[in-house]
Amino acid sequence: MIRFENVDKWFGTLQVLAGISGEVRRGEVKVLVGPSGSGKSTLIRTVTRLETIQGGRVLVDDADIASRSVDINRLRQRVGFVFQAYNLFPHLSALGNITLGLTKLRGLSKAAARERAMEELARVGLTEKADEMPGLLSGGQKQRVAIARSLAMDPQVMLFDEPTSALDPEMVGEVLAAMKRLAAGGMTMICVTHEIGFAREVADEIWFMEAGRLIERGSPAELASSQAGSRLGAFLRKVGPG
Amino acid sequence: MLEILQNNWLLFLVGQYPHGPIGGLVMTLFMAALSLALCFPFAIGLALARLSPYRWLRLPATAIVHTVRGLPLIMFIFWTYFFSPLIIGRAVGGVETLVIALVVYEAAYLSEIIRAGIEGLPRGQTEAATSLGLRYWPTTIKVVLPQALHNMLPSMVSQFVSTIKETSLGYVISAHELTFAAAQVNNVLLTQPFEVYGILALTYFALCFALTSLARLIERRISAGRGGAPGIVVAA
Ligand SMILES: Nc1ncnc2c1ncn2[C@@H]1O[C@H](COP(=O)(O)OP(=O)(O)OP(=O)(O)O)[C@@H](O)[C@H]1O
Ligand SMILES: [Mg+2]
Repeated sequence: MIRFENVDKWFGTLQVLAGISGEVRRGEVKVLVGPSGSGKSTLIRTVTRLETIQGGRVLVDDADIASRSVDINRLRQRVGFVFQAYNLFPHLSALGNITLGLTKLRGLSKAAARERAMEELARVGLTEKADEMPGLLSGGQKQRVAIARSLAMDPQVMLFDEPTSALDPEMVGEVLAAMKRLAAGGMTMICVTHEIGFAREVADEIWFMEAGRLIERGSPAELASSQAGSRLGAFLRKVGPG
Repeated sequence: MLEILQNNWLLFLVGQYPHGPIGGLVMTLFMAALSLALCFPFAIGLALARLSPYRWLRLPATAIVHTVRGLPLIMFIFWTYFFSPLIIGRAVGGVETLVIALVVYEAAYLSEIIRAGIEGLPRGQTEAATSLGLRYWPTTIKVVLPQALHNMLPSMVSQFVSTIKETSLGYVISAHELTFAAAQVNNVLLTQPFEVYGILALTYFALCFALTSLARLIERRISAGRGGAPGIVVAA
């Protein structure tokens, strides 16, 4: 579904990704962890070309996303992206945030878009907030609207960049719950998160990055048993029990 | 002073209308509002061009903005006044001349305001729109501009205030506006220039001060809105 082949990324003279290779198959959930600045965000941002790469290839459904034959805007509809800072459109209601893509990209009528958006809001438990402006929603509600906004485009993959890091602790659960339901429903996902409990529960594989390299990977069980003395083990102990 | 005002308030307000062309304060406001409205699309175009990734759009737009901002308004008034008859083959009135000059001039300044508004938006806004699959124009029209223009509303009111003051230059080409009306009153009275131009100054001041206060009020509202209240959407 998504394949990284020797991906190199530079910001000027700073190499941020160094020869990253890895594959995410349909229905898999990968959790990406690593210290700050290790390149986690940059890696998932390469998938929809929010960042361009200087070496290697990123393939989505076996198509090189840098190739001319790939319509990048089409691809972006198939790959949902959820940001740490939610990035809701503050001048549109919760509903308006979701219907924008539906009317502009899917050509749905206002009424049809509204109906579809209400379905997505229902999935994240926010139907009663449909007409609220983002400024009046709590962080957890904003992030759930952002997830609904992505899901409304019927993506085949969802990318999450620390979706709970900006949240007050009491709101983390509601967002993780939405993500768990999504995973249980078979969604292919790459999640950058330090929620180790979430990783243990839903990750098929944890990828550990450091300084632009993917230095360890394995299922949560493998990592827990065999690598207690590893860098990942040390890192997991530092970010705390999940 | 009060007596002058009592005898001439209509002239200050609407010029010689209905016996002659409309002028005075009404025309001042009309010209300022019209030129700002007309320059709006150009200003947006210039701002977008200056932010474009394409050099062939960015460079000319940047050159235009810098050139216009580097010249005094009166140059544009003179150029329009002397050259437009050559181009269109008939004399052009003072009001048209002034509005044309102001549109060119204000477009450059307003474009800088709009550009600042666009650049001031969090990068995540365009990234979120892009990630949905929206292309440049839907992103710009539905996500970027509504927010940028809303945030820039106070600056635009300030720009309106500048424009009001700049219309007074219309005097030199006999555009019938507020300063022109004051000069007419002065020509009739002959002996009281201090009072007449005092009234003129007070009128400009009251108007501009009121608008500037309005701008501050809007500014407070907007920053309060960022703190949680729903944003008011201002359509382009
Ligand atoms: N636009 C940019 N320009 C220059 N350098 C950048 C840019 N974006 C990121 N970087 C740098 O690239 C490196 C990797 O950044 P990235 O955001 O991918 O790390 P991360 O693993 O997501 O970290 P965090 O956990 O803090 O989010 C960092 O050193 C960062 O400073
Ligand atoms: Mg990051």
